[in-house]
Amino acid sequence: MPVRSLSGTYDYPSSSRQELYGDDQLVSVHWEGNLTFSAPACFRAPRAMTWGDFKMQLVDPWAACDPDYDPSAPTGFRLDGDAFIPQPDRTLADLGVGHKSLICFRT
Amino acid sequence: MAKLSMRERYSLLTRDLDWTPTYVDPKEVYPYTRYEGIKIHDWDAWEDPFRLTVDSYCKYQAEKDKKLYAVIESFAQGQGHLSLTDARYLNSLKLFIQGVTPLEYAAHRHFGFLARHLDGPGPRFAALCQSMDELRHTQTEVHTLGQYNKYYDGLHNWPQMFDRVWYLSVPRSFIDDAMTAGPFEFLTSVSFAFEYLLTNLLFVPFMSGASFNGDLATMTFGFSAQSDESRHMTLGLGSLKFMLEQDEDNVPIIQGWLDKWFWRAYRVLGLVASMMDYMLPQPVMSWKEGFELYFEDQMLGGLFPDLEFYGIRPPLHVEAAIAEKDVVSHQIYWLLYQYCFGTAFTATVPDTAHLDWLSEQYPDTFDRHYRPLWDKARGIQQDGGRFFNLALPQLCQVCQIPVAFTEPGDPTRLSHRSSVHEGERYNLCSDGCQWIFEREPEKYRQAWLPVHQIYQGNCGGAALPDVIAWSGVRPGDGGEYLGSPDHVNWERWHAAGTAASGL
Repeated sequence: MPVRSLSGTYDYPSSSRQELYGDDQLVSVHWEGNLTFSAPACFRAPRAMTWGDFKMQLVDPWAACDPDYDPSAPTGFRLDGDAFIPQPDRTLADLGVGHKSLICFRT
Repeated sequence: MAKLSMRERYSLLTRDLDWTPTYVDPKEVYPYTRYEGIKIHDWDAWEDPFRLTVDSYCKYQAEKDKKLYAVIESFAQGQGHLSLTDARYLNSLKLFIQGVTPLEYAAHRHFGFLARHLDGPGPRFAALCQSMDELRHTQTEVHTLGQYNKYYDGLHNWPQMFDRVWYLSVPRSFIDDAMTAGPFEFLTSVSFAFEYLLTNLLFVPFMSGASFNGDLATMTFGFSAQSDESRHMTLGLGSLKFMLEQDEDNVPIIQGWLDKWFWRAYRVLGLVASMMDYMLPQPVMSWKEGFELYFEDQMLGGLFPDLEFYGIRPPLHVEAAIAEKDVVSHQIYWLLYQYCFGTAFTATVPDTAHLDWLSEQYPDTFDRHYRPLWDKARGIQQDGGRFFNLALPQLCQVCQIPVAFTEPGDPTRLSHRSSVHEGERYNLCSDGCQWIFEREPEKYRQAWLPVHQIYQGNCGGAALPDVIAWSGVRPGDGGEYLGSPDHVNWERWHAAGTAASGL
């Protein structure tokens, strides 16, 4: 349903659109089955960053806030709800990780 | 001169001052009351049940102010802040002045707008009275809670915090959403959904919390605002029925607004839920109990059967709110606990007696899902650490709370929704927020989400301390309660009192 407005036209851009982040994008990561972390973590990462760097530089330090985290344990990855096989040398863009995507894993 | 009756006075001093424009089209005088699709045939059908006039309004409010300021004065003279149950109680007041007082001020502004822009003199005058009430509430809250600002952190900078701090974007986005809607939608959102449907779940917990925790000043403020709030409730229901009675075509529009604004207001109250269950050293009642009494019994059981006559049914997603009553306060307070490095209130692991109380109040969920989390946090603290979640959270595009809720009926599985609109993905926390987003994506895609803005570099810098300073939060305002300035001062003042009295 379009927004009803006084002027009859109502069209403003998203305040979080990808172009506002240059060559980067926002990517969220959720540790499924672990209630310790309330919400998925949201990172700003270059689209050209490899999965290996993304995991080591951003995901691992965050997940280590939980002393029970073992960096070799994440498994069962999903990207925006679908099965996902991360490959350390490929970039986020290559792997199909988009702006504001959600990656889930289990341990 | 014979004295006029109240009814005559009201008529002479309000409606009789109105006139019908003749050389300007009424549509130009009142440009805002047609585009939403609401049809009003007879503005005079709106009856103000209180028949207030400005002079009687001022006289009545001045009497209440006099009593309140006498109590505040004696509170200040008598070191009333030392009579609290515990300094942790202040967190409830911090949340109130940071998150509720700015809503009162925003309501003052927008009812002032309605006092100009509604076509009928009756509703215009009712809006004027409410606008004055809301300003008076803002002032009296500042003067009451300001007493504590002399001694405790986190109360010093609430207008800036309301504009900038991440969790305060939850109430702020709510009121921004309402104020950018048309006047009839605003009435449905603020006058009805907030001031009528859910007001008891907002106001009563704070004021009863004050009473149970030795806060005479805030309790007195509550009494001083209570009669105004009853008037707002009556006007909320009155404005809803007025719109429904004017034209049958209004019914589906209002039903849509009720569906939206119930969920919007309910999500804001999640912060109150966590306050009720965790921030009061001496709890009043659990969120679950309050929700059952004030919402399920009074509203679903009392109000909605009455509204059926107009063709109105209970809001969509009400079942999800009921299903969440066993989990929602725990999820939000656990969230605040782990992100409180960036809040202007402190948080801590509840003591054993408090955990036992929560176990009693939530027999189906607390021991199974949440007590283990608190045990884990306490273990980390006993080892000299403190569990903080040191990454920014994914926020819901509509309610702006981190995506931290679980699927209805399964407290172990995150409830996450996403919608793609014109090629861009938006993340949402629940079916309710997703429904609201998909109804008006052009509106919600503009949301000022703190996490996204921080990452765009619009919030003072890239490092967390820079962002926190930019938000107006100072060191000591937030973080762990144990060892905080509030905790240390409280211990010191009470130890000094004990020594001085020879105990």
